[in-house]
Amino acid sequence: MPDITVKNVQFYFPGNVEALHAVDLHLPPVPTAIVGENGAGKTTFAKLLKRLLKPSQGKILLNGGPIDRLSTTQIAAHIGLVFQNPDHQIFKNRVRDEVMFGPLQIGLSKKKAYEAASQALKRVGLAESSEENPYDLALSERKLVGVASILAMDTDVIILDEPTIGQDERGKQLITSVVRELSEEGKLVLCILHDMNLVADMCERTIVFHHGRVFLDGETNWVFSHEEVLNQAAIEPPQVMQVARQLGIKHAVTEQALLNELAKLKIKC
Amino acid sequence: MHKLSLFVDQSSLIYKIDPISKMMYAMIAFLTPYILPHITAAIAITALSFSLLLIGRVFRHIVPILGVSLLLILSIVIVQGLFYPDNATPLFQVMGLTFYQEGSEHALLLTLRVLNMLAACGVLILTTPPDVIINSLMRLGMSPRVGYVLLSVLNIIPHMRATMARITEAQKARGVELEGNLKTRLKSFFFLMGPVILSSLNQTRERALALELRGFNAHAPRTFASASGAYPLYKISRVCVVILLLLVVSWRLYL
Amino acid sequence: MSIIQVENLKYQYPSAEHLALNNLTFTINQGEFIGIAGANKAGKTSLCMALCGLIPHFFKGAYGGNVLVNDKPVRDTPLNNLTDLTGLVLDHPFTQLSGAKNTVFGEIAFGLENKGVPRKLMLERIEEVLHLLHISELRNKHPFTLSGGEMQRVAIASALALKPDILLLDEPTSQLDAARTTEVFRMLANLADQGTTLIIAEYNIEKMALHCHRILLLNTGSAIDFNTPRWVFSRPDLNEHGIVPPLITRLAKSLHIKRDDGLYPVETREFNALGGFVDA
Repeated sequence: MPDITVKNVQFYFPGNVEALHAVDLHLPPVPTAIVGENGAGKTTFAKLLKRLLKPSQGKILLNGGPIDRLSTTQIAAHIGLVFQNPDHQIFKNRVRDEVMFGPLQIGLSKKKAYEAASQALKRVGLAESSEENPYDLALSERKLVGVASILAMDTDVIILDEPTIGQDERGKQLITSVVRELSEEGKLVLCILHDMNLVADMCERTIVFHHGRVFLDGETNWVFSHEEVLNQAAIEPPQVMQVARQLGIKHAVTEQALLNELAKLKIKC
Repeated sequence: MHKLSLFVDQSSLIYKIDPISKMMYAMIAFLTPYILPHITAAIAITALSFSLLLIGRVFRHIVPILGVSLLLILSIVIVQGLFYPDNATPLFQVMGLTFYQEGSEHALLLTLRVLNMLAACGVLILTTPPDVIINSLMRLGMSPRVGYVLLSVLNIIPHMRATMARITEAQKARGVELEGNLKTRLKSFFFLMGPVILSSLNQTRERALALELRGFNAHAPRTFASASGAYPLYKISRVCVVILLLLVVSWRLYL
Repeated sequence: MSIIQVENLKYQYPSAEHLALNNLTFTINQGEFIGIAGANKAGKTSLCMALCGLIPHFFKGAYGGNVLVNDKPVRDTPLNNLTDLTGLVLDHPFTQLSGAKNTVFGEIAFGLENKGVPRKLMLERIEEVLHLLHISELRNKHPFTLSGGEMQRVAIASALALKPDILLLDEPTSQLDAARTTEVFRMLANLADQGTTLIIAEYNIEKMALHCHRILLLNTGSAIDFNTPRWVFSRPDLNEHGIVPPLITRLAKSLHIKRDDGLYPVETREFNALGGFVDA
């Protein structure tokens, strides 16, 4: 079971707004959302986990061992990160080669990498585009290529940075189901998200960052019940909760729960 | 944060001088060693540029730029010292190679010209943001298209560097080893060039659209957000520049 | 008063196999706030380009039918004259930076300088949009150093500063957090109240339902519907067009709460009034 421990991690360098202060977290394989306003330190946190940045202080442990002992390739084999902007990572002129790159890099044979890539592309619905040039695809599709290229590496930990930007309803549903499947496979999935509806939909745990600190951390329902605290971190609760509050219903985070409450009220009338 | 141009953001006397005067100064300084092919003149004007940099409190920012040109200067000294056509008087010997006085003197003049050029440019570039320089040229009637091209060229290197840094990260995230020996680094550099070029090509067309929509090709006479009279030392500096020019020219006539 | 008339508009990109826009006919009135909804590749971006004249002036290809802006056919009007009237915010904020300015302030000034807006007026407008988009504190930053969300707000500000009669926005809030998105939509609704015609292509159905006067529903280049949010989001076949109706409409459908005209509500107050859940 993958597991990450973050011990008193601090990060700062001059001029960087996204500094982090004394972050302590234990991340077991539960689908987890990382939320916070623009500039709260979310992306910096993801890069620290991936050791693309080095903490100024503190330690990060992967499965009990410090990650600073691992090589770039070893980290890549354990932790996958899908970047917010796919154009920062795509560099092959064929979708399949792009997705095979990661698996080959971490030591899979050509045949295995080919299979992994096919599987991953199928999973994001791009099997038919595997021979195309990524730059001929729409941005939303390139984004899915980015997701596939991490899926193909079959890492225990997967970090997705704003995976749903620019996706239509179908794309969002696809990503939601991929996240659910990965969690069911026992992987640790971390999603940086700004769409709170999706957070409520797919993550059991939510960590709120605010000014570089962990501001709130707990079960998603519990976090969203702290409305005033969330306000301070400039976070709007999910649509369901906003509507529930307007209709005087206290505890409803999922659409089904809200519907049930409303149905009861409707009968009373 | 990456530094996006050579401009040093602070304030001192030099910052109060308008860009055109600084540009005129740079030009005169450029030309002086040619108008007056005398080592004294070259030394004088180079010294003037350096003192301006000192007054402007940007001297330490010119040092790395001079450092980069060191290789050029070294090759000038070697080539001229050894092979200058008029070489006649041997000066000294290193490892069996004879350096000649004529060539070395010529090399000194060339070196001074290089230093002078860099220092004069420094006076302009270190103390004026690139868009301010181009804007003042456009005010004088330079075509906005030329202005745009110049500015985007000035922005290309910082832009490429920023893109590179982002892509390096993305590559590293997928296990590309970027530390280590030269071979691996060259190999990964090769990996990096692909996405940098692809993504900038991709962006070019969209940027062209965006420019079009913001009236880049509009025929109306252009206006400027920056005030034209924002430089209090405008008149004095023009006078100084003209005096300098007169000095150089009269020296030449006197000779 | 109609400001845009589209008649049998057809368009196909060069070297594409299918029509990007297929026989569109509709009218937009001045001061309307129009939402364009549809899945990826429904033709949202192409339509924006056709309304501001980039199609057919910039993108060649097969063009049929007519787009009239202020009664002038776009096809026969030089792009320069069209850009005095329409502004477009594209979905990729980075490529909308001119790449030639060193500060956010200068970046916003870029279009105004090109158009020859007098300096005093220019400064007023820049201050106004800096304030409207809450980016005053970014004014001296280099545009390349901004985050995606910040760039997006600068792009909107740059377009707004030109005070176009018609403002087209293609996914302008994709990189903004919820609070910022709410702000931008409120501001746009205000602009529409003051007479600017706004056309926004978005995936954010909730916000469109709240603020847009009419929704144009597209599917693979064809117009499926063009009507009030209530009408469009009450359609039983929405799913086939890749659209999920707003939460309130979904709840109303499940609970069979309808208006007298048979449509489902799209916003909470009406939903509550019809369902009688809490005292208003």
